[in-house]
Amino acid sequence: MSDEPARMSPSAKRPQAARPQVFRLDEGDITLAPPEAELEAGPPEPVPAAGGRRGVFSRFGFSWSGLFWTALGGVLSLAAYVGLSQLVSDLYAQSPALGYVGLGLAGALVLAGVILIGREVAGIARLAHLDHVREKAAAALADDDRTLAQGVARDMLRLSAAQPTLARARVELESHLGGIIDGADLVRLTERTLLPTLDSRARQMVSEAAKNVSVVTAVSPRALVDLAFVLYTAVSLMRRLAQLYGGRPGMLGMLRLIRHVLGHLAVTGGMAAGDTLVQQIVGQGLAARLSAKLGEGVVNGLLTARLGLAAIAVTRPLPFTALPAPRLADVATGLLRKAEEEEQVPSRREQAGR
Amino acid sequence: MIGLTGALDEARIAWLTLADRVEGLAHPTLRLGVTGLSRAGKTIFTTALVHALQRGGRMPVFEAMQSGRIARAELEPQPDDAVPRFAYEEHLATLAEARAWPSSTTRVSELRLAVRYATARGSLRTLTLDLVDYPGEWLLDLPLLAMSYADFARQSLELARAPARARVASPYLAAVAAHGADGPADEAHARELAALFTAYLSACRTEQVAMSLLPPGRFLMPGDLEGSPALTFAPLDPPDGAPRPGSLGAMMERRFEAYKNAVVRPFFRNHFARLDRQIVLVDALSALNAGPAALADLERALDGILAAFRTGRNSLLSTLFRPRIDKVLFAATKADHLHHTSHDRLEAILARLVERARGRAKEHGAALDVVALAAIRATREARVRRDGLDLAAIVGTPEKGQEAGGHRFDGEEEVAVFPGELPADPDSFFDPAGTGFRGLATGDVNDADFRFLKFRPPAGIGGKAPIPHIRLDRALEFLLGDRLV
Repeated sequence: MSDEPARMSPSAKRPQAARPQVFRLDEGDITLAPPEAELEAGPPEPVPAAGGRRGVFSRFGFSWSGLFWTALGGVLSLAAYVGLSQLVSDLYAQSPALGYVGLGLAGALVLAGVILIGREVAGIARLAHLDHVREKAAAALADDDRTLAQGVARDMLRLSAAQPTLARARVELESHLGGIIDGADLVRLTERTLLPTLDSRARQMVSEAAKNVSVVTAVSPRALVDLAFVLYTAVSLMRRLAQLYGGRPGMLGMLRLIRHVLGHLAVTGGMAAGDTLVQQIVGQGLAARLSAKLGEGVVNGLLTARLGLAAIAVTRPLPFTALPAPRLADVATGLLRKAEEEEQVPSRREQAGR
Repeated sequence: MIGLTGALDEARIAWLTLADRVEGLAHPTLRLGVTGLSRAGKTIFTTALVHALQRGGRMPVFEAMQSGRIARAELEPQPDDAVPRFAYEEHLATLAEARAWPSSTTRVSELRLAVRYATARGSLRTLTLDLVDYPGEWLLDLPLLAMSYADFARQSLELARAPARARVASPYLAAVAAHGADGPADEAHARELAALFTAYLSACRTEQVAMSLLPPGRFLMPGDLEGSPALTFAPLDPPDGAPRPGSLGAMMERRFEAYKNAVVRPFFRNHFARLDRQIVLVDALSALNAGPAALADLERALDGILAAFRTGRNSLLSTLFRPRIDKVLFAATKADHLHHTSHDRLEAILARLVERARGRAKEHGAALDVVALAAIRATREARVRRDGLDLAAIVGTPEKGQEAGGHRFDGEEEVAVFPGELPADPDSFFDPAGTGFRGLATGDVNDADFRFLKFRPPAGIGGKAPIPHIRLDRALEFLLGDRLV
């Protein structure tokens, strides 16, 4: 090898296409990839918005109801401002010291209000982020897009950063990020690496909540108590599931989450009912014959379990692809009477064995 | 399919399948066929596969391996005593000690692996994996079963007279012109013609031409049949009507039939028809290196291979009597010769090559996938900044004697190579006029659009460390994953 760089002469005829070339390693401007190549960490591609836009206004989120609420908020803020400033000036008129105290309290009120609102907004943003990651993951799975999938994996690493038990899984996934893995495979790998522990904990939560509801319904003296308990359990279950998957919703976020979950139930509830309806009717029938309260307990428990499954589907940041989605039978077995449970378990074993 | 094999063969295949299934009841067995045209990397793939199953490695996409459910994989005595054993240990030693690629597959060979694994529910099972490694050229023979000698001769001579091959075929074509099919049946003439025909076929395989469609396959890899009458024939211009008894044409025709009966049918019956899964390795890069004619030829050859596959989902009855391949993976090998940013484009080119097969496989319910892989990764990646361009290059040690830009490599020096950029739209490559791109066969060597050097295997194979690879895990997940759940 001579000192001259071993390079093929670039063809002058086609300057736009780079020609094949060979370089010696001691030439300049060659950056070797590290042994576990870290890929260029460019910002993930934004997901193209689904659906068309209707017009200029809708592009800015215009709607009459939106305008109404915005205007109402503005008017109320102004009213609050006028009221407060009036109050402070009245206080000041009585005694300057009282005025300063009033001003200080008003300032604290505004500050705390702003922070509360900020937290609500952040909570909603976190929930929206989960949706966004799920959409990105679905797109990466469909198109086998490597850049998108790497964005998903990085998002998932950030989301799971608060889970101490996933430290090892995170390190493992990070080590694979440098390798040559296709988009869909990378999403599946992320799911398999990070989510099994969370999934089993989510399953456990739903199952426990369902059991609690059914027991409390069965022993509670008044229907109102049942109702309150079911509501309380359902809401706290949703909140804990969202927290588990990295959502941590605030109050408004909770409302939004509940809306999502109910919407999801409306879509999937019918289909889910199909496969387990017989079981449920049988279970309820037997239980109801023993005691009306017991039957109600089973129904309420099943309802909670189904609500929990919908909440998992809505809060889980990745769709179920590599791992099986939980079924009603997985989280509600404890509710049905022992006899039916014994019937179910061998049949499920058979399924798994096949 | 009946037309290709005949009823008697069907019966024999059904019997062999039934025997396999009965054995499979006691020990679940999977017969995986590894094939590809010569130099596609069959031996290396099989070696790397066995090594990966035995020693493990970095296989994030291969779920059973990554989650630690594969307890161990052991080599076992193979079931067919008459078939040579795949020389796994020797090939691994060649890679490790000489740092050279193992010699190529010239015959069918077999290896049996017992994979001990835990199911997802935790019970321990054993999957017996039979690897059948055979030259892809033999698959090109399968369409011959449905052809008469006249068809074969017409097709072969047409190919030989095509512009891309005419230069290397000229001595043979001259001999064909000298010996008409009506001449007397003379053994000396037949031998001379067969020798010239074989020489022409092997000339088609050099790096500059890199042709793929070269039936009959056994001419290039004769094995123990070398010199037998079944391999001593050649295509002649067929006379009008049936050849006269005692003429050279009649002799050739008889021998062609003998070739079909003695070579092609037994292979189909005993090996090919019994496969459950199949991976077809395709060396698309060599074709790109050589030029558009080679690529078009590769497409035709793959088409021929695909016609042979019995693909389709197994129903209960068909599983017992008629085996079908239910999963076929097409793999563009030597992906380590490209930067990973080009892998998707390589996959797109391969997908374009097997487009017709995809439709057929879908019709029959078989799964078909396409992947760009390197069973053993011989390069690293790098970026080179030159003339204002940021080039995605690869770094490796070219084999001794390789040449680029007027330099011969000594087999020790590491260099960075920018192999050229694959187009985003694969269709631009398949320009019927043959002007889609320029290869080594097109003209000036320094003007080619691509240059893929041959690299030596990476150092450090053979110890405890896993062998580096690209997407071998994805291939294994596709081929074996559903049998290891």
